[in-house]
Amino acid sequence: MSVFRISYRYANSFFQLAEEKKLLDKFSDDVELVFNTLVHSKELRTVLRNPVIKQNEKKKLLFKIFGSKIQKATSEFLEFIIEKNREDILTEIMSEFLILKDQKEGIVRTKITSSIELTDSIKKEIVAKLENRINNRVKPEYSVDQNLIGGFIVKIQDTVLDASVKHQLDLLRKKFSEEISISNN
Amino acid sequence: MAEIRPDEVTAILRKQLAGFDNEVDIYEVGTVLQVGDGIARVYGLSNVMASELVEFPNNVTGMVLNLEEDNVGCVLFGETSLIKEGDTVKRTKRVASFPVGDKLLGRVVNPLGEPLDGKGTIQFDKYMPIERKALGVIARQGVKEPLQTGITAIDAMIPIGRGQRELIIGDRQTGKTAIAIDTIINQKYTHTEEAKKYGIKPVYCVYVAIGQKNSTIAQVVAKLEEEGAMAYTTIVSAPASSPAPLQYIAPYSGATLGEHFRDSGRHSLVIYDDLSKQAAAYRELSLLLRRPPGREAYPGDVFYLHSRLLERASKLSEDLGGGSLTALPIIETQQGDVSAYIPTNVISITDGQIYLEPNLFNAGVRPAINVGISVSRVGGNAQIKGMKKVAGSLKIDLAQYRELEAFAKFGSDLDKATQKILAKGSRLVELLKQGQYIPIPVEKQVVSVFLGTNNFLDSIEVKNVKKFEKEFHEYAELKYPTIYENIRSTKELKDDTVQLLKKAAEEFLEKFNK
Repeated sequence: MSVFRISYRYANSFFQLAEEKKLLDKFSDDVELVFNTLVHSKELRTVLRNPVIKQNEKKKLLFKIFGSKIQKATSEFLEFIIEKNREDILTEIMSEFLILKDQKEGIVRTKITSSIELTDSIKKEIVAKLENRINNRVKPEYSVDQNLIGGFIVKIQDTVLDASVKHQLDLLRKKFSEEISISNN
Repeated sequence: MAEIRPDEVTAILRKQLAGFDNEVDIYEVGTVLQVGDGIARVYGLSNVMASELVEFPNNVTGMVLNLEEDNVGCVLFGETSLIKEGDTVKRTKRVASFPVGDKLLGRVVNPLGEPLDGKGTIQFDKYMPIERKALGVIARQGVKEPLQTGITAIDAMIPIGRGQRELIIGDRQTGKTAIAIDTIINQKYTHTEEAKKYGIKPVYCVYVAIGQKNSTIAQVVAKLEEEGAMAYTTIVSAPASSPAPLQYIAPYSGATLGEHFRDSGRHSLVIYDDLSKQAAAYRELSLLLRRPPGREAYPGDVFYLHSRLLERASKLSEDLGGGSLTALPIIETQQGDVSAYIPTNVISITDGQIYLEPNLFNAGVRPAINVGISVSRVGGNAQIKGMKKVAGSLKIDLAQYRELEAFAKFGSDLDKATQKILAKGSRLVELLKQGQYIPIPVEKQVVSVFLGTNNFLDSIEVKNVKKFEKEFHEYAELKYPTIYENIRSTKELKDDTVQLLKKAAEEFLEKFNK
């Protein structure tokens, strides 16, 4: 079965549990913490993926890292995943959980890349415009890329709104090359 | 290059800049997860359609073939090494399509419609999807007009009609492509004023070269140009050096262009040279996409691959303009094995086959058509009446000859009747030999076959048959031009023409034997 389907099943079961206990906010904070730790620590991912290391060791390790910082139910969920030998896709399960949560709350994660650091007022304006456009709450993530020369790029799921100078120049170059080859005829 | 004045450049630039709007561009993207062997797996592109074209960096395009739960399988039409994991893939929102229009005639293009002949960009009317559903029953009518190949053996015994699908099958080096090229060259007549007068409509040709050497394609183009046949021909080329996905879509692109002519009430001829290479290309990419292999490692839908292509050949009903698309697929067999997977498939799909044999080819019988096992299931209705009249006895004579051929070495020990059959048969075989690139107009074919079947060749030595035929045509064209004129205009061989023909033949025979 594909990783996608497996991770969805684990994430969904934990998500339903969270809703039942009405602890979605707390759980999702935990999941976000685990997810971010996994994303930023290559060593941890390697350890979890390593089949040589025993399950008990992995459990202890995770407990040492997260034990004091997360809910009891969350750490039990982590143990459960290890027991089921699915610790290699822990990252995917966590990210799937976050997606489910966003869906439930109507939040859309967007990546906003700009050529310079945006001021707070511009950030607000962009978010407001985007929310208006897609009729959902937007959870922005900002980054700066000087290669854009000017303007900005917004990525909402698979759709890209490109208002960067770099892209405009690319389009212009394409247009020129096309029209010149036609006018040669 | 001529000098470019600075103001010209600025003027052009200003003009182009004026029409350039710098609004926000919206597009959909995905990320390359994995790439290799001409296949890319892409994450994202959540709204992408099956067989949609997608844009990779470095001007590489791809086509979506697999839509899976968490990723999309794309085939690449360009260099795999230019794409890396993590690259962005853009949707084009356009399913794989081919530019169609009359301006494509005379051009050599790749299966995406990009020019390969260095004659600049292609002016086309519109894009049409390369995969189209074949027409249903209501839209069609029976095949009724002939498609003259200019090859006597075919036009007499294995006639092809406009809208038919006739397979050309044979080993390598048996002259399969030669038949196809001769047929294209012979369509030149249909574009003349004279043909128009006799109600023969022009046939536009598309030659799809799949997995061939670039040098072979260049030769074909040069030959067609020399014969003036490129004016009504388009060549769609996916040479051996092009990626398998391009070879896979090439026949569909060719069919799309053929359909453009058909749907505008005209006639088209599409040659797929050859479909065994296309099947091999499809096998390659199916295996890379991890589709399960079946017989000879071809995927399960390899029959559908060819049936949906050849079903697009059709003769439209009069309500729809009466256009037609004739398909001449070519299949290369290995050591004459027609019971291999792909040959049997295509044989069962088509309306007949022209079977070429290396033995005949090496014995000097060219075109090396084995008339015994070659058939045309629908073309008979399309044959002109005059040809039908003379060809009937030709088939019987040749069948009798083949039956007794094995005894030919006994020579004079045989009885009179057998000797007569053998003599006539060997002369007919000689008569049906024909050089490459020399298509024969149908009225001459009728006259030649008439001479053969009516025993006018009996007194001539076998080696002189061709000479006699040639000189007779010269003689008759000078002294009795009405013979040809009558056949051309009435498309029949009426009794008065037969009398005239007999008279001419007797007269000439006397002179020839002197």
